[in-house]
Amino acid sequence: MKLTGPLERVLRVLTADLSAQHYGYDLMKAARLPSGTLYPMLARLQREGLVQSEWEAQREDAGGRPPRKYYRLTAEGVRVARLELAHASAQARHAAQGTAARLAQEGTR
Amino acid sequence: MSRAPHVQRIAERLIRASCRRLPGELRAERCREWSAELPAILHDETIRSGLIRAMRALSYSVGVSTATRRLNRGDGRSRRARASGWRDGAIHVRPGNLAVRATVGLVAWLLTVSLTVSLLRAFPTGWAVVISLVPAAGFAVFCLADLARADAVRYLPKWAWALICVAQIPSGGIAYLSVGRVGRARPAPTGSA
Repeated sequence: MKLTGPLERVLRVLTADLSAQHYGYDLMKAARLPSGTLYPMLARLQREGLVQSEWEAQREDAGGRPPRKYYRLTAEGVRVARLELAHASAQARHAAQGTAARLAQEGTR
Repeated sequence: MSRAPHVQRIAERLIRASCRRLPGELRAERCREWSAELPAILHDETIRSGLIRAMRALSYSVGVSTATRRLNRGDGRSRRARASGWRDGAIHVRPGNLAVRATVGLVAWLLTVSLTVSLLRAFPTGWAVVISLVPAAGFAVFCLADLARADAVRYLPKWAWALICVAQIPSGGIAYLSVGRVGRARPAPTGSA
């Protein structure tokens, strides 16, 4: 799995609260992604078994609102997402340290 | 807000039209899922202006059209990523040097302009226009045909190149041929990508 910027944002939103139910628009707003990017990504994650979806049960108090489809990570998805995100953070930290070291070196010269 | 039901109907129609692209088993479910998002957008409390909510709902529906196209292809990659397929070896044509290609295009354009100017001087205006219209139309058709047969193009999506070719008859076509053209792919030696 290649961790791109949009994918990283989606995974961060999904891992932030594992018990939360996210519907499409909710994820779009939280991850700041257009619908044309988000849904194919979710479909891919679902195919890979990392995300599962379920239809909301029709509620009495919904006020005629049609049922939504909710997405959340599977157990495997949680594991993979945490691993990938940790890896991405470590890489970012590593890059930042490299830059800091280079700057320090240039400063002493 | 009296606008919301109106917008919702338009957006639903757009979504239904996009869903028609999907295979049967996906169509109904996706259509239901996406239509169910519309009330959430149109009654989003965090957006104060009704106009912006309406625009958001419409852009959502347009995005759904992109989503269905990508779902049909079965990948999460954008068309731009496809267009630059030469990068991962899908298309075995090297990009070439952009500066060289652009210079060649510029020279071709200057030649065309000087040819047209000398044509205008040599013939009476009416005739010159007729004489230059025929090759101009032929050139535009040639560019569009080439574009239609191409497996991939560079820098811009195909439709944008087509628009450029038609809008600026000699120079747009020259720009496409010199900068945007990749041509047809030779079959890749490995079956990957």
